[in-house]
Parts: sequence; structure tokens; C-alpha cells
Amino acid sequence: VNWSTPFWLSVRVSLTATLIAAVVGIGGAYLLAKGRFWGRGLLEAMASLPIVMPPTVLGYYLLVVLGTNSVIGRTWESIFGSPIVFTVTGAVIAASIAALPFVLRTGRAALESVDPQLEQAARAAGLPERRVAWKVTLPLARRGLLAGVALGFARALGEFGATVMVAGNIPGRTQTMPIAVYDATQAGNDERAARLALVLMGIAVAVLLVVNRFSRAAP
Amino acid sequence: MTGKARIAVVVAILMIGVAACGNDSSSPNDASKPPPKITELLVAGASDLRPAFEEIGARFTKVTGTHVTFSFGSSGQLAQQVTNGAPFDVFASASVDHVDQVLASGHGDPKTKTTYAFGRITIWTSDDTENPPKRVSDLRDARFSTIAIANPGHAPYGVAAGQALKTADVYDAVEDRLVYGENVSDALRLATSGNADVAIVALSLSLATPDGQYTLIPAKDHEPLEQALVVLATASNRKAASQEFVAEISSPAGRRIMSRYGFRLPGDKEPTGTSGISGGGV
Repeated sequence: VNWSTPFWLSVRVSLTATLIAAVVGIGGAYLLAKGRFWGRGLLEAMASLPIVMPPTVLGYYLLVVLGTNSVIGRTWESIFGSPIVFTVTGAVIAASIAALPFVLRTGRAALESVDPQLEQAARAAGLPERRVAWKVTLPLARRGLLAGVALGFARALGEFGATVMVAGNIPGRTQTMPIAVYDATQAGNDERAARLALVLMGIAVAVLLVVNRFSRAAP
Repeated sequence: MTGKARIAVVVAILMIGVAACGNDSSSPNDASKPPPKITELLVAGASDLRPAFEEIGARFTKVTGTHVTFSFGSSGQLAQQVTNGAPFDVFASASVDHVDQVLASGHGDPKTKTTYAFGRITIWTSDDTENPPKRVSDLRDARFSTIAIANPGHAPYGVAAGQALKTADVYDAVEDRLVYGENVSDALRLATSGNADVAIVALSLSLATPDGQYTLIPAKDHEPLEQALVVLATASNRKAASQEFVAEISSPAGRRIMSRYGFRLPGDKEPTGTSGISGGGV
């Protein structure tokens, strides 16, 4: 298998980004649903920004924050020997940030829809708060959480604008499927563009079927 | 499958994804390890070079065993990427200015700055355009309601197209009908897809694109499209391989390919002819 084709590159980038978005997003969703702290509304708004912000704006800020002249970019380069921008790492970061709000928002709604009486019952039975979360809240919200993760995956897979700015269009390294569609179109290679577009469409439909299945009323 | 098992499966799939990402630590510009032979070169090329450079790259791979990966875009965009730290080994621009911009940012070896070709621009229309434009001033005709050029903000071929329109004194008349492509091959795509009636694009692309016709714009109507390149690689073995690739462009075989796509190399005579059938270079 050639792991550097746009298809496998996209699979790797979007799965890694989904994992990051799932961990951060579900953790954040729990915090937002259950926690009562100052700045909660602002935190949610900030985490949701990538949904409403043009991807190019995200790309611009990522270049500013992670670029080779930035503090983070320089520190990273001195530790790992290569920059963040124009590498697969940059593509993963862009896709993770794009995917995060979908996991977070869907996850928060799912966690808030869990019947508080069930959580109360668990507490009354003497379970500590952490066990209540693991044994009651998260399992009951799992359908909504998975729907959020699936949406996040779809968003990560489709990420284009920020990725092309932060990671460029380098075949075999950062040329993911959406970027390969763009590149094939520019090269006048319509057949390749159509083939790649069809694969992306197929995955999008599959993800929506999964999301619909999970989003149906909780068992 | 129980809920827990289902979640476990999802997590497992994600883990495999992460594991697949693990083997990606090798850096293209890593100077600490001295591999004797470079297996892959990364060349940033202006969009007008795509057809010619893909042939030269394939030839280079056959001769040296080194694979060449190209990243095509407008010279301005590529220069910006280099400035931001993109790991290209060679930057082949469509202008001298963008090479100077890259050098000014501290990237690339000034000693390797070379003019490797001179480009030309053409008026491209599709096969089914009757009475295609014979000169730039013909674009005044209202049937050409959409005229595609590369974005002059960052694409040298777009700058040249604008100059040619001004030389023919039609710029003001057609300004509202201009649409910008991201780069010169994007401008041509706007016309090949039928969304623009005509495109002012590189001769190299006109020669590589079937189902069209073109008229060559006189070279004196715009500033020369002097295409310069610079080697960016710093590790000695990568630099050597990059210079080998650069030498390939002006080798006899490289020259043949470049001239087939309408480029004039330093030392060549100015080509003759003013129009032709699109796709003639294929």
C-alpha cells in the first residue's frame, strides 16, 4: 500500500484529528455541561469559532501562531528538527481545530439531555462524581457523543482552506484528498478530480448515515 | 454489540490511525543524518511549468533514480510558502522578483539564482469559438464577456497579461470583464471549463491543452517573463541533487522539452510563429 496517496494521507490526518478532537471535545463538552465557572460562555464561543469563521481566517492565524517565525514554531523546530507548517503535523492541527466544535457542541447537547434523576440516583447509591460520569452520564450520552465524533471526522476529512494555507499542497506529504481535487482541477485532470470527488462524496454520505443512526432517540 | 464494545471499536480504529501517523518523523531537510543518496526532491514550480516540468521530472527520475515531487502554484504564493518555511529543495519562479523576495527572507543560496527560461503569453479560446481573437485589441469585442487572467497580485503571468491589455489600450474597456484565476493554470481552467470566453495564459499551457486555439501575444507588448530559480536545500547531498535537477533543465534533452512547450532558454533564438492549435506540445 502506498501510504502517501491523497486517500491514505486523508485517512491518517482525519483519524488523528478526530481522536484529538474527540478527547478534547468530549472533555470540554462535559466541563461545559456540568461545570459552573466564570467565562464558561466565552470558552464555548471561542471553541465554536471554527464553525462560523472562514477557514482562511483560521489558516491565517495558524500561520501566525505556528509559523517558523513564531515562538511556538521555533520551539517546535528546535525540539523536533522540522517546522510545523507545511508538514502533516500542520494539516492535523488544522483539521483538529476545524473538527473540535462539532464534537463539543453535539456532545454538550447529548450530555445535557441525560436525565439528572439517574445521575442523582447514582450519587445516592454512593458513587463518587468521577464514577457517575463514567458509569452513568457518558454511557447514556454515547449516541450523541458518537454523532458528534462522526461529524467531526467528516469536517476533518473535508478540511481544505486552513490546511492549504498551513500545510500547502505538497503531493505525498500534505496533499490530502480535498486538496488533490483542487490540484487535479487546476491541472485540467478532470477524470482524477471526478474520481477523488466521488470517494469524498461516498464517505460524506456514509458519515451522515452513521450520524442519523446515532442521533435517533436514545435507547 | 454492546454500547461499551462499540465505543471500544471506535477507539481502536482511531488508535490505528494514530499508529499509522507514527512513522512520519523523517524530515526532508534533516542534515544530522548523512544518507548517501537522495531518493526524492521537492520542487516548487510556477503553474506555467507543469506540463514541461512533469516531463523533465520523469526523465530525471529515469536517469538518476531520484523521484521529483512538484508543488505547483502562482510564483507569489509559492514564494510566500517558502518564506513561511515550506521545505522545498528548488523554487522555480515565473519571475525574478519572487526569487529575490525569497532570498531577501534569508532562504536559498544567492549563488544558485539562475534565469532558466523566458515565457510568452497567448490568447486562448476553445475550439468552438468562431473568429477567435487575432490580437489583444480584438478582446474589446463584447462577445468576450468574461476574460480570465492569473491574479496579477501574485502571479507574474497575470501581470504580463495586464501589461499586454494596457499596451493594446483595451485595459479600461475590458477591466470589468476580467476574472482572476489563482494562478495561470487556474485562469486557463476557467476558459477550458467554458466559464470564461477567453483566457490570457502561458504559451506552455496553450501548447499542452487540447481542444483549443491560441494567438501568441508579441513579446514586446509586456515586460519579459524572465523565469528565475533558486536552490533552497541546505544539506549538502540535497543541494547536490537539486543542482543536478537544475542542470537537467538546460541539458540538451531538457532544452528540447522546454522548447516544445514554447519556452526560450538563455542562448536560444526568439521563436517564430504567431498562432496555433492548442495541444500542439503534447
